[in-house]
Amino acid sequence: MTVGSDVKQCFASLKGVEASLSSLALRTLDDESKRTLHEAMMVVHEVTKDLKKRVGELEGEELQYKGF
Amino acid sequence: MPEWLEVVIRSLLFVVVLFLITKWLGKKQLSELSFFEYVVGITIGSIGAEVITGLERNMFNGIIGIVVFAAIPFLAGLLSLKSKGFRDFIEGRATIFIKDGKIMEDNLKKEKYTTDELLELLRKKDVFKVADVEFAVLEPTGDLSVMLKKENQPLTPKDVNLTVASVKEPQTVIMDGEILDEPLSTIGRSRGWLKTELEKQGVTIENVFIGQVDSYGQLTIDLFDDKLQVPSPQEKPLILSTMKKCQADLESFALGTEAKGAKQMYSKNSEKIQKAIDKVTPILRG
Repeated sequence: MTVGSDVKQCFASLKGVEASLSSLALRTLDDESKRTLHEAMMVVHEVTKDLKKRVGELEGEELQYKGF
Repeated sequence: MPEWLEVVIRSLLFVVVLFLITKWLGKKQLSELSFFEYVVGITIGSIGAEVITGLERNMFNGIIGIVVFAAIPFLAGLLSLKSKGFRDFIEGRATIFIKDGKIMEDNLKKEKYTTDELLELLRKKDVFKVADVEFAVLEPTGDLSVMLKKENQPLTPKDVNLTVASVKEPQTVIMDGEILDEPLSTIGRSRGWLKTELEKQGVTIENVFIGQVDSYGQLTIDLFDDKLQVPSPQEKPLILSTMKKCQADLESFALGTEAKGAKQMYSKNSEKIQKAIDKVTPILRG
């Protein structure tokens, strides 16, 4: 395993969390919880954007594991 | 008409009359809150019994009596809605029994309550030590309302500065194996959604005794077959643990990498996730 694949895995997990938070926020009836969940989803989204960039950089370094 | 048949007819008629009267007077009559409700309850019962069995008397006189007795608390209720003075006169006022942690002996005497009776009332409220009470008041209905001293009150999340997620009331969507459409539409779900949720848990609708949906859209069920184990909803704890795992991963990436920019990016994002975790923990923990 390389750092690249570890980061990719983390990226994938965060994507999953983002989707779960989003669907939970949609299903929640209580307005305040809804807002909190949505905000958390946005934060996770920003982090995934950064991670995606990093995955691209790492792929430049570890060409043999190129996936994106 | 044989006598027994007349008794049956009168009984049936009076059940209907009493039912209608009680409906008309409302819930207050059933709880016998004040003097009027108490007296009216007794009297209407007696009139009913008297007329049903006393065959020599005219049945409709009994009904008139009942209606009059029902009308008085109805009018009194209307009047006491308007006037505080009338309300105090009719329903009585509360009497303070314990104030600032001290028993008001004069008030006990005034209401003819012995010390034993006071202790009994306190015990009914799960208070066994008078010293625990800050304030207690005897309501006009004869109930004792007790406020404990702050240090003896149950601990609330506010006391320990704990944030808890607010929840709305759950809706019962399945009862005795049948789908209830009205609560289902209240929370904006369809029968199709419910069927999918049940499939996810691996049960058929016929086997569900009761099913409720909480305000986070999670379905919890109780089955007829008590030997089957139903999994409790895992989605929320799963999200939380994944978030925690990713946060730890980011931290270890930050430590592992040599590149300056990447290090900064990792630790900044790990902090961001940590903040998000702190915010959603009260919601996802439950």
